[in-house]
Parts: sequence; structure tokens; C-alpha cells
Amino acid sequence: MRSLNYVQRVSLDFAGTLFPHAICLGDADNDSLNELVVGDTKGKLFVYKNDDSKPWVTRTCVGMLTCVAVGDVCNKGKNFVVAVGAEGWFHLFDLTAAAASKSDSSSQHEFMSFEDQKPLFTQHIPANTKVILISDIDGDGRSELVVGYTDRVVRAFRWEEPSEGSEPGSGQLVLLKKWLLEGQVDSLSVNPGPEGLPELMVSQPGCGYAILLCSWTQQDSSSSGEEAPATPGSEGPSRDVVLHVTTGRIHNKNVSTHLIGSISKGSKEESSKCGLFALCTLDGTLKLMDSSEQLLWSVQVDHQLFALQKLDVTGDGREEVVACAWDGQTYIIDHNRTVVRFQFDENVNAFCAGQYTCKEGKNSPCLVYVSFNHKIYIYWKVELERMESTNMLRVLEENPDFKSHLKVLGVDTEDPAAVRAAVANVLYKDSQT
Amino acid sequence: MLRESYPFVEDSFSRFPSQSNIYGLCQAGEQELLAATLKGKVVCFRYQELQHKIRPVAKEVQFTYIPVDAEIVSIDAFNKSPPKRGLVVGITFVKDSGDKATPFLNIYCDYEPGSEFNLESIAQSCLNLELQFTPFHLYHTEVQSDDGGRETVFLLSGHDQRIHLYKENASLHQFEEQPVERLFPELQQLPSNVLWLDMLSIDGGQRLSAFGCQNGCVGLAQVNQTEPEVLQSWMFQFDSPISSVLLFPLSYQTESGENGVEMVGYNLLVTSSIEMAVVYRDVQERGLSHSVCLSESDQWDAVLCALVIDLDFDGQKEVLLGTYGQELLCYKFQPAGRGRDGQFKLQWRRSFKSPLLSIIYLDLTGDGLRELAVLTLKGLHILQHTLPRTADLVLERLSLKVSALTAGSELDSAKEQDTEEKDAPARKGGCTAQTPT
Repeated sequence: MRSLNYVQRVSLDFAGTLFPHAICLGDADNDSLNELVVGDTKGKLFVYKNDDSKPWVTRTCVGMLTCVAVGDVCNKGKNFVVAVGAEGWFHLFDLTAAAASKSDSSSQHEFMSFEDQKPLFTQHIPANTKVILISDIDGDGRSELVVGYTDRVVRAFRWEEPSEGSEPGSGQLVLLKKWLLEGQVDSLSVNPGPEGLPELMVSQPGCGYAILLCSWTQQDSSSSGEEAPATPGSEGPSRDVVLHVTTGRIHNKNVSTHLIGSISKGSKEESSKCGLFALCTLDGTLKLMDSSEQLLWSVQVDHQLFALQKLDVTGDGREEVVACAWDGQTYIIDHNRTVVRFQFDENVNAFCAGQYTCKEGKNSPCLVYVSFNHKIYIYWKVELERMESTNMLRVLEENPDFKSHLKVLGVDTEDPAAVRAAVANVLYKDSQT
Repeated sequence: MLRESYPFVEDSFSRFPSQSNIYGLCQAGEQELLAATLKGKVVCFRYQELQHKIRPVAKEVQFTYIPVDAEIVSIDAFNKSPPKRGLVVGITFVKDSGDKATPFLNIYCDYEPGSEFNLESIAQSCLNLELQFTPFHLYHTEVQSDDGGRETVFLLSGHDQRIHLYKENASLHQFEEQPVERLFPELQQLPSNVLWLDMLSIDGGQRLSAFGCQNGCVGLAQVNQTEPEVLQSWMFQFDSPISSVLLFPLSYQTESGENGVEMVGYNLLVTSSIEMAVVYRDVQERGLSHSVCLSESDQWDAVLCALVIDLDFDGQKEVLLGTYGQELLCYKFQPAGRGRDGQFKLQWRRSFKSPLLSIIYLDLTGDGLRELAVLTLKGLHILQHTLPRTADLVLERLSLKVSALTAGSELDSAKEQDTEEKDAPARKGGCTAQTPT
């Protein structure tokens, strides 16, 4: 297994502790460059920008923050930062304004009024939140907010406003549906189904997953949207939960499982239907499947995988699966099951991977590790030329000129030693030694 | 800082179970590396070709007669000089069984025809020599043997202020210690314990040999090889232990612009533990009188290892330094301008995750392009040149060669193509022969 070392990293100060889902990368201030959003257990929300070790903005929320997300949750064409606490307080922040005030004068931000620090909107939703997702789950082109709970419940909300074009603060979250699952939900994701429509997937213990059906799309919508179209509990929750158990050797059917969907296949036509998703378990099973339940590969490792992400490290448009273990061992696996390992030298509190603008003023693939000693490390140069080791002859052979040149020079192209000597000869003056 | 010009991509990293030291890495054969770790383990690193894919493999090699409580000090390997065949591996270690530490030198070499280069069987045939001194640097060099042929021997420096010579006894088929004075008259009566040793054969059957000592002394000698005799020798005292000395030729253009003559001089690079690294220029002519400092090389703790190679394929060598401060530094020689001496300028630097101990440049992947192997405290990094860019360079140079060839054959169509091709390497050989004047 190929393993390598990333060294280019920046360290950010982070004094608190956090829940594993209270970290994400996203464009929080709508400048098309991504920021790092982190929420701690004391209710502080930090947004880091570039390679600055101090947070760019800090906000205070109510309760222990269990999950944060960046997305167009209000369907206004711009991103908001969402922070949800364990007690059920939902906070919505608009940091585009913060960016503007910052650029006005950097010295003034110390006097920022309390009003500026306050969330744009807060609402109490059911408590015991664990994980959130902002995505279009029903295929209507508008984002919904999905919340997973520690009591095996998943709820979907939609942002509703009295009339179009009003202030964002005037709207509220409306419950669309509640699903009750058999096992703990560790991740939420959306994946294109066999017909190309988005499917809401949640992970289930023992390397399983469930597809949650959005029943409101069938009953749709005579009502104007003032009330939730689907009333939870009116029909058996199990009807809308399609549980899938993946085959293979599962050592422990209660083992914690993570899932990530919509893994890009590169070309547009292919990825539109039959999306790829990956699963990982704490006992070291990794699987890549497509939505027709076909297994592409399965990898068994002896590390406790607790976080699963996707990231295009080779820059070919295909996203690799990135899994991280508690002890810092990180696996990057492509669609052909080629593995690259990286060992982060500390235990990991939380992990995420994605695009982030660290240096050089543009988004680049990054790995983010939250350690246990008050630091967040961002590895900002993780791009690879390729996943597999190769040598230059293979690169040269792709060019037809190479062989023709060698033939003219009288080198036997079938003899590896002769080709090798010819290459060494043009590169090095002292190639005989 | 010109970080953009850093030409490498890390291809693999192998973590080692225990740390190594500055004597812990050597090339064994064409495409393999041996790395020794403190706790008696030797790892063989190479690229394996399997189903049209290559992949890095780091495998432990079980060398016999290395006890479990041994701590390896140094490792070295060489291919026997022709006409003899075979790979020879030397490993020095200290066996610490509690009451008294005993140092050993093990020399591994297989005489069985067919398995002279098979590492597995070489590791099983061992000559075990007990040493009366703590070993340091194990080095090999080629000497002229009595019958006029060439032979490669081991030189081992020790804490007894001496350097010991181990030479193969052809009739007995084994290595034995021989007095160093006869073949290496420059290595007697040393001022201190030698920490690093380097030799370079030069024209006229001569060699330059340099050593760096624990007390900061650097010695350099020009020796006639055929009848070993010291022609000239120089000494210089530094303020701190010498971590490495390295002799290298450097070619550069002289002042007179485009049509300047290409000059070659022999240089000596000296790295010490607290001072800046220094290059002594034209040592053959000027001894240790003309020095150039490598500025900023003392900024990242002690320099532990050095290498002089042509990284950018322009025919001029660059100086690489590896520091305890986890940096790899690359210096390039800037030729003298008007009224100004030539200087070494820092081109780029790259950070590692742990201190750098040793660097080697060799072709591991078997494509003619060499890779940089960097041994750090935690393991072995293989840095590969950025392939697309290097491949473009190869194609460009090949097409230049082709066009030169076709132009030549048009001019002289009477000549057959075959002779032209034979001519090309000959011309190249002639060029290198005339340069060191």
C-alpha cells in the first residue's frame, strides 16, 4: 500500500472541544472562496479564513453546538452558516455582512456591536441533534434542512417565508417529515438514485444504510405551504424507511457506520444517474457502492475509521474517498481501489476534507484535523499527480513521438535497458557513472 | 523564496520501527536501497513491478549474525569491481549485552555462482569480525590492486583515531583487515576520530581524499594512486565536529560571456554541526585557501547530510543539504560576474516532518530518471521528479538529437546512419575527457 507524507500545513488555534460533526468547509461569506467553520461545546462558533491562526469571526450560540453547516438553507441564492446545539437551538448567521464590515476597516471590528454578533435568526427545534445536512432531498431544486438525532430520529425541515422577497429573518423552519430508524444515524447524505432523482440516505450500524422516502412529493401540494404537508406519525414511519444491509463479513452488527454519497465520477452524464456512495465502519470496513446496490470495492483495514469524506486529490474530476481513523491514519482511495495512506501524527478529535482557501488565494483540496491539544491542522497541499506510483517511461510512452525519436536514434524500443540508458543519457551528463 | 522551483513530488514514505542515523542508508545494486535502523533491523527498499504497475516495497532483510540486542551503527554496500562479480554489504553494530558493549563488523557476500546479487542469500553468508574500537563511518572506494586490476575495499573509521582497511583476500574468499598505510598513506596519524570520509578519482591516476573529524579538523590530500604517495596535503580546523565532507567536480562558464570556455574544478564541501557549510573551490590548485560559504545553511540547526547532483538537468550540479532542523536546502552555483566571485545561492527549501539524516540520488523506478531518497528520523521518503515536466524535457532533447542527426546525415549522406550513431556517444565521451584541464 502506497503511503506518503504531507508536510505543508498550517495550524489554527482552537482552545475548545467539539463534536465530530461540528466542523465543515464552505463558502460562509459568499466570496466564492471556502472558509472553515467550527463550533465548540460551549456554544462558540468560529470561522477561519486563509492561513490565519486566529478565527476570522467568532459568534456566540446557545447551548452545546453539535453540528454546523454552510449552505443556501433559505433558498435565497446565497450561503448562510447554520449552527445547531444539542438542546435544539437552531442558529442562522449571515456572514456576508461581516465580510463587508471587515473590509471597511480592520481596526473597527473590536467595536462591533452586539447586534452584529447576534444570529440572524434562531428557532427551537426538537433537542438531541447529532448531524445536519443542507441539500435538496426531494428533487424540487430547493434546499431542505435534514437533522439527525441521537434518539434514532431524522427530521426534515423546509425554510418557509410568508411572502417572496421578504427579510430572511421573517421566515421559519417548518417540519416536513419525521422518520424513525432502528439504529443510530451517524451520517446523512444525498445520492442520485437509479432514476437520477436524489435519495436521502442515512447510515445504519453494521455497515448498513437506509433510504428515507420523501412522501410529501407524492401527496403534494394543494396547501400553500403554511402547514407541513406530511403529518408525522399519521402513517407508519417504517413504510418510508427502506433499510439496506450490505453483504460481506460484518464482525459486529452494531458497529458505528458512516456514509457519504454523490461521489463524483468525473463525467457529467455518468454521474447524473446511479450515484456512487461510500460506507465505512469503526472496525475498519470501507465500501464503495452505487445506488443500484452494486459493490465496486471493499477494503478492510485495521484502524478505527470514524470519519468519511470525499475529495478530488488528483484533479481529474473524480472524487476519491477519504477515511480517517482516531489514531490519525488516513486512507485516500480512488474508484479503482488504489490506496494512498497518510499518517497524521496525533490522535484526531474531528476530521474533514474538502476545498479550502488557505494560501495562494484559491480553493485547493485540504485535509483538516482537529487535535486534542488545542490546534486544528490544515494540510493545504494534498494534491497528487496520480494515485499510483509510476515511472517516467509510462508517461513518455503515451506520446508517440517518444518511440519514433528513439527509432531514429537507433535505440531498440523493445529493450527496456536500452530505453532506460537513452533517457538517462539525455538527462544526465555523467550517466555512465 | 522560490518554492516553485522545487522539482519533486513525494512518491512514497516508509515508516521505520526505530530511528536510524547518518550512516544508515546505502545503495545496494542498481535499483535498491538498504536502510539500517537502530534496533538491528535492515530494510530493503525497491520498486516492484507487478501486473504492469510499479509499487514501492519496503521489506525487512534478515541478515544473519546480528543479535537481537545489537544496535546498528553504519551500513554500506558495493558491487565488486570487474572482473569480479557480486554485491558486498557491510554492517557495523554494537552488541550491548549489559556488562560490556562489543562492536562488530559483519561483511556479507555470496560466492555461489548465480546468487552473487541475490540479497536474500547474501544476507545468509556472513563474515563476523569483532572490532577493538567503536565504529563510525563505513565507506568503500576503489583501489589499484597489486596485479594492476581494480578492487573495491571497505574503509571504516573508529573512535581509536584510526581508519581501518578491509580488503578481500582472493585466495581465502573472504575479507580481512589489512594495514591502511600501504594503500592509503594519507590516512595515517589522524588528528582525531574521523566522522566522515570521501574520495574521488581524478585524472592522471590520482585521487583526492578528504576526511572530517570529531574535533573539527578537515584533512585533504592529493595522492598518486599507482604507487600510493601523498603529493600534497592540507589541513583546516573548524570549531565544531564535521558532519560530512564531499568532493565534487563543478563545471561552469568563465567570465567571457557566451563563447566562454567551460571550466571544471574540483571542490570540497564541508558541513559542520554549528557553522555554515563551506565549499572550498579548486582544491587541486588552491588547496583549502579559497572558500565560499553557503549562506543561511546554519539557520536550520546542524547540517547532517549533503549531496551534490544535477537536479535540473542543465549539466551543472547543485548542492543539497539536509538539516536536523527538518529542512532540505538546494544551492546552485552562480558563476563569477565582473570582479565578483562565484557564489552558491539558495534555490529552494522544503520542510520534512523529522530531521534529515541521509540523502541518495538513484534510479529506483528503472526509467533512467533518478529519484531522491531521503532518510529521516522516522523513515524513508522517495521524492520523484515531476514527471510531466521531465518527460517534456526528454522529448524536447530527443527531438533536438533527431534533428541534429538528420541535419548531419543530409550534409554527409555518404556516411551510413549506423556510423553516425556510433559517433554520437564517442563525441560525448571526448567532450567529457577534455573538460577537466
